[in-house]
Amino acid sequence: MPKPKNIKREFVPHQAAGRVAMGVATVAGVFSLIVCVLLVTNYLQVRATAPLDNPELLQLRKTLAETPGMDEALVKHIRALDLLSRKAFFTSQAYLRMGGRLLLAGAAVFLVAFRLAARWNPKPPAPQAGPDEGAYWSTIARSKELVSGIAVILVLVSLTAAYLTPSGLPSPAQVSMLSQERGSEAPPSAASVAADFPTWEEMQRQWPSFRGPGGIGVAHYTTAPTQWDADTGTGIRWKVEVPSPGFNSPVVWDDRLFISGATEHVREVYCYDTDTGALLWRQALPPFPGTPEPPPQVSEDTGYAAPTMALHGEYAFVIFGTGDLACFDFDGSLVWGRNIGVPDNHYGHSSSLIALEDKLFVQFDDKRAPRLLALDAATGAEVWVATRKDISWASPACVRTPFGFELILASERDVDAYAPDTGTLLWTQPGLDGEVAPSPTFSGNTVFVANEYAMATAVRLSAPDNAVKSEIAWQWEDSLPEVASPTSSDEYFYIATSMGEVVCLDVERGEMVWTYEFDQGFYSSPIRVGERVYVTDTEGTTHIFGTGPAFELIGAPQLSEPVFATPAYLDGRIYVRTQQHLVCLEENGGN
Amino acid sequence: MKGLKRFVSVLAVLVVFSCDGEAQFRFPMPEFESDYRQPEMYTPPPGRTNDLMDVAVLAGALGVGAWLVLKRRSRPGVFLLTVFSLIYFGFWRQGCVCPIGSMQNVAEGILDANVVVPMAIVAFFLLPLLFALFFGRVFCAGVCPLGALQELVAVRPVALPQAADRVLGLIPYLYLGVTVLSVSTGAGFLICRYDPFVGFFRQGASFNLLMAGGILLLLGLYIGRPYCRYLCPYGVLLGWMSRFAKWHARITPTECIQCRLCEDACPYGAINTPAPEEAPISPREGTRRLGKTLFLAPVIVALGALTGMMAHDVLARLHPTIQLAERVAAEERGYFSDVTLESEAFRASRTTLAELYAAAHAVRADFKRKSPWLGAFLGLVVAWKLVALSIKRKRVDYEVDRVACVSCARCFPYCPVEDEDAKTQKHKA
Repeated sequence: MPKPKNIKREFVPHQAAGRVAMGVATVAGVFSLIVCVLLVTNYLQVRATAPLDNPELLQLRKTLAETPGMDEALVKHIRALDLLSRKAFFTSQAYLRMGGRLLLAGAAVFLVAFRLAARWNPKPPAPQAGPDEGAYWSTIARSKELVSGIAVILVLVSLTAAYLTPSGLPSPAQVSMLSQERGSEAPPSAASVAADFPTWEEMQRQWPSFRGPGGIGVAHYTTAPTQWDADTGTGIRWKVEVPSPGFNSPVVWDDRLFISGATEHVREVYCYDTDTGALLWRQALPPFPGTPEPPPQVSEDTGYAAPTMALHGEYAFVIFGTGDLACFDFDGSLVWGRNIGVPDNHYGHSSSLIALEDKLFVQFDDKRAPRLLALDAATGAEVWVATRKDISWASPACVRTPFGFELILASERDVDAYAPDTGTLLWTQPGLDGEVAPSPTFSGNTVFVANEYAMATAVRLSAPDNAVKSEIAWQWEDSLPEVASPTSSDEYFYIATSMGEVVCLDVERGEMVWTYEFDQGFYSSPIRVGERVYVTDTEGTTHIFGTGPAFELIGAPQLSEPVFATPAYLDGRIYVRTQQHLVCLEENGGN
Repeated sequence: MKGLKRFVSVLAVLVVFSCDGEAQFRFPMPEFESDYRQPEMYTPPPGRTNDLMDVAVLAGALGVGAWLVLKRRSRPGVFLLTVFSLIYFGFWRQGCVCPIGSMQNVAEGILDANVVVPMAIVAFFLLPLLFALFFGRVFCAGVCPLGALQELVAVRPVALPQAADRVLGLIPYLYLGVTVLSVSTGAGFLICRYDPFVGFFRQGASFNLLMAGGILLLLGLYIGRPYCRYLCPYGVLLGWMSRFAKWHARITPTECIQCRLCEDACPYGAINTPAPEEAPISPREGTRRLGKTLFLAPVIVALGALTGMMAHDVLARLHPTIQLAERVAAEERGYFSDVTLESEAFRASRTTLAELYAAAHAVRADFKRKSPWLGAFLGLVVAWKLVALSIKRKRVDYEVDRVACVSCARCFPYCPVEDEDAKTQKHKA
């Protein structure tokens, strides 16, 4: 290797030239900065506004899709708007390209000028007087400390990241379950689609969901007993202990009674013989893909099994606070099941299920994305999803209005009606506020909702032009329910409050007909059974009064146990879930 | 805490997906109802590239670089080579193929017997290493387009404190380890995916990468070559080779006269000062501390392996299958009301959820097997650094740090010592 040469550098300043170069560099730098800011702003604007997601364009497309035949004017309008959106987008892209070139040019000028400025204002070497031995050793020591420190930080960051961001994948067991599951993804088989679902009339004779058929708090049968006594056992046909906690209410189909129960560790369904109270089977839900472990935090007043099950012919549907939704047949076999998402809902999920024809409806009130799901009852496959604006803790009611079936849902602000077939929002009316737990009821052509800290609101439905129209008929703002849902007769609405008041309001005008104050409050909802209304207070006393224009107490039999669930009223029987027992009441039971 | 975990999990998914900024300007085709027919999609034939010429240019540039650094000791010459490389390998060849990225191909070829690595890529990988073994990091000096871009913007570079420089110098080892892990698990070529400067060469990249590149260049005005020093994984390999270079650049052409004029000449912290003869601790104490560090080394390696294993779920998110599966799972749980292009494409495919999750679990298991090796490697690096810092050096002159020095020739003009030829000529005159 030849000996190398050495080209020396002379640190000679050229101050005037240096100042000029620095000035040019400053101007070019400021120019580049401005262009850069404009480019970023333009980019963010383009990114935030997706041109083809223009609400007007989307609305027009929707209108076109719903318009029968071809509306040429509308088509032209859409094309013009579409073209405009595209032009805006590509113009913006052209600006970005032009800006990029300007930035490149500005940066190049800045760089050259800055280099020249640095060269013409050189910084000659200025060594210290003597070697700093102390600095040498302290640098070594600091380096060791820093290397050790950064290694520890790396370990801590890795472990923290591993702890805070666990794998979002379903466990292998859940995946295995998913692959074996019936109908979770594959198209439903012809056999399952052909399942024979009960008619509306058949459903009326059962207790298929929370607050009875349609979930409006009205029983089909009018033969419920009026007398029983927990102390003597009179009127009690059977009484069994409930295996797991849950605030859900019993549902009954023919001779089968279902309830669910859950703790942090187990989610179970129980099936009883209605005649004997014998536990026919109990089934724990397996973990599904997405089942949270551990389960989400819920309020003690809600728990993991607050939603009431729904029965539909030969199927029993259940949902838990974990978002696990499952369908069992009456023999206890899992037909389908999946986790539909962990509900982000600060008290816990409590909305009950309801079914109609071939669909199961799930009010999935997750704070981030509240929605109403319609699932194929036989397969669990999604049929439609309707986005909701707000959440609630109420349950859907399914009513047959003079204008067709409607799903009525309460939210924190509104009462909304959806078409069961399509999920189309039929109407919405304001009138609710706060954290809404009471569910709607219905009488004739009037929907009625109420909640504490809001107002009781009656929404009258009509169809003047073959399109359902809703309007607020009246509002009431005195004693209002916190948890219990109202019920109705042809003439009156009945409200039971958590303070123990029962209020009877006139359906037509919303005037108070009578009010009565009991000693205990009500969480269990009042149910109208023919000419009587039953409502059980939190201490287990059921107050029975007539539906006439004046308050008439028919009886107040006791179970002497706290009751929060709403009983099921069938032919000659009442099934009550107390805090710890399941009780069947019958006129001559126990004798 | 659970809420926080969920938040962080969702955030992690969002962050991973936000990195893929290239997809955001995809624009659906207009829907025509007239007789207009969309033209058929076709893939244009590959451009005419001559790999042999690229290899020849690389070899030539490396040779010229070595000659300029070692024989000519010419900083202006190295600067001109830098400009040439930026134009040719950067803007003309658009940053591909580059030796930094080629290490991924080579790693893939070594780890997967079914992968055949083209000879041109092997040459791109090996040539800079061979030159580093004989002449030091002349590739970094003026041939690497990434280094060239940073060298041009390093106008007023200042040296960082040596301790900070050493700590930041650990990051390339991490990047190297993660890169190899990523290749071995099929997660992709991270170096190419996250190349911060290729967007400038190609005049187009995702917003995030352009911003990252812009920030690095702005930083590079005052902190010289931030990518080369604190990120580049290939620099680790070059440093290893350069340590044993037969002919390496020297600050002084002949004998160091201890003038200390070069002390602040290197903005890259690659000049080692003479080591004091007297240490603040006794040789016995120094030996004891060194022994302790050596004793601790296996513990550090084991701790690293354990940490790597614990963090395998985090690392697995590098893999697109895991990203997609977690996104789809989150959508299934209702965390998102919208879909991404990837999840939409998945849902339109015939792959079932179970198959996707099963594939993701297989990838996860692969990461679980291999992540401890990454942790062990990093533990070894840390242990090695601590051992190296515990050894007392015998250095009497100002010398280049052979591992860190990028042979940029910035220090040459600072040295007042003239070589024999110049001295002779001056004497004759």
